[in-house]
Amino acid sequence: MGQTVEKSELSPRSAGPQFPGPFAVGRYARKLQGWMRERPRVQLIGEVTGVGRSKVQAYFELRDSEGAIPCAIWLNDLEKAGLNESSLRDGAEVVISGGLDYYPGGGQASPNFCFRATHVRLAGEGDLIARLEALRKQLRAEGLFELQKQLARPLLPKTIGVVTAESGAARRDLCAGLERRGWGGSLIWAFAPVQDRHAAPAIGLALQDLAARPEVEAIVVTRGGGSLADLWAFCDETLCRTVAMLRVPVISAVGHERDSTLIDDVAAVACSTPTHAVEAAVPLDCLAARESLQRCTLALRRAGEGAVGNRSRHLSALARGPARALQRQRTDLNRKIREVRAAAERGLSDRATSQRRIGTVVLERARLRAAGADMDKRREALHRAAVTLRAHEPERTLERGYALVEDPDGEPLTSAAEAGAAERISLRFSDGNVRARPEQDRT
Amino acid sequence: MEMSEQDPSKTEPDSYEAAVERLEEIIDRLDSGQSGLRETLDLCKEGRELVSYCAAELDEVGAGLKELRLDDLAAKLEASPEVS
Repeated sequence: MGQTVEKSELSPRSAGPQFPGPFAVGRYARKLQGWMRERPRVQLIGEVTGVGRSKVQAYFELRDSEGAIPCAIWLNDLEKAGLNESSLRDGAEVVISGGLDYYPGGGQASPNFCFRATHVRLAGEGDLIARLEALRKQLRAEGLFELQKQLARPLLPKTIGVVTAESGAARRDLCAGLERRGWGGSLIWAFAPVQDRHAAPAIGLALQDLAARPEVEAIVVTRGGGSLADLWAFCDETLCRTVAMLRVPVISAVGHERDSTLIDDVAAVACSTPTHAVEAAVPLDCLAARESLQRCTLALRRAGEGAVGNRSRHLSALARGPARALQRQRTDLNRKIREVRAAAERGLSDRATSQRRIGTVVLERARLRAAGADMDKRREALHRAAVTLRAHEPERTLERGYALVEDPDGEPLTSAAEAGAAERISLRFSDGNVRARPEQDRT
Repeated sequence: MEMSEQDPSKTEPDSYEAAVERLEEIIDRLDSGQSGLRETLDLCKEGRELVSYCAAELDEVGAGLKELRLDDLAAKLEASPEVS
């Protein structure tokens, strides 16, 4: 590479290391230019800074938190890319296509190295997501997602650090949320830019400063929503590594629910809103806790008083026990005495009744016995009377062939004169009556 | 009883969490009605001390938000060695 200078022209004492050469620099520069231009064409993504223009080209630096490359694009290429002048501005996240280039300069002109872009476009969501995923994969593989999650988060921190933009809704929301929860401890604000390439280093520094303060028990990092490009600072690899290594739990509340940044992965807790971040930073609802403590106080007082009161009542009851037992025994005794007395009285009365009952039975039996003999005699006499009576019945006489004369009224006619005087008579036989008329003239 | 074996004179818990946890244990034990008189009185005493501790902790964050700026604190920190 290049023509060597005669060795004899060099002083032996200044020969230096035995590298090849020396070569003429101009030729070396041109060779270098050729070598660089042969490097593979690539796409780079980063933030545009320090934009400047000459008559024929625009130049800028493409930068992220780890480094930068000087870039240049011919104005006609810029025009072909469809980007107007305002699009290629400081802070824009772009993807450039091209390769390394080197301008060797000349006798008067200065040499210049740059990445010669032949095309440029604004970085899209897809580009950022692809970068994010690659970083996410790498940090997860290193176990950096777990470190913060293993930290103990206090239920009731007294001091909380907050990293956010000085002017922003997130700050207001956070204060309102903390007050709603009844938390009135100390908040240490560490204000930092939350969007652009300065944001990530500033946020990282603020986090480290807060974590270095012994009174800080939790740190909230928050900002409002935006595009992934807006939130890109929170996907910064260096920042995320810093967060992972902090001794204080970090609660991230960056963007809205749908936004997912790398800091969410490494933080102890990822929240979608400042309100959620408040609940994560102060897990204890202080208002509810105060009410709960009042209930505990009441329960303890009840238990304490009850323990003594119940036992004292029980003791009193026990103390009254012997007297009550004696009274009970006395009552029992009195009752038994009354029962015995009643039983004795009932016993005498029963005995008299029983005697009376026995006498009655004996008399009744005697009476029945006496009545029985008399009846037999009476029954016999009655029989005799019946036989006698039966012997005197007219029917018995009529059966023997006599007839009884009666007037028409059934009155017996006991003389011939009565019968002769009657106009009509009736002759009563044993088997029936015969009417007749007396013949007056025959008599 | 495991609880009655705990030292009731231990009144300063490590944290609010530990205090609340122990307080809940105490209330449960008292509610069970199985503790004897001595144990009940000891538990009540310990419980009251825990409640006082928790109340004091809550009081510390009950005075209203105190907002500080990290920059100011850092500035004071830098100034203090010169003052002393």
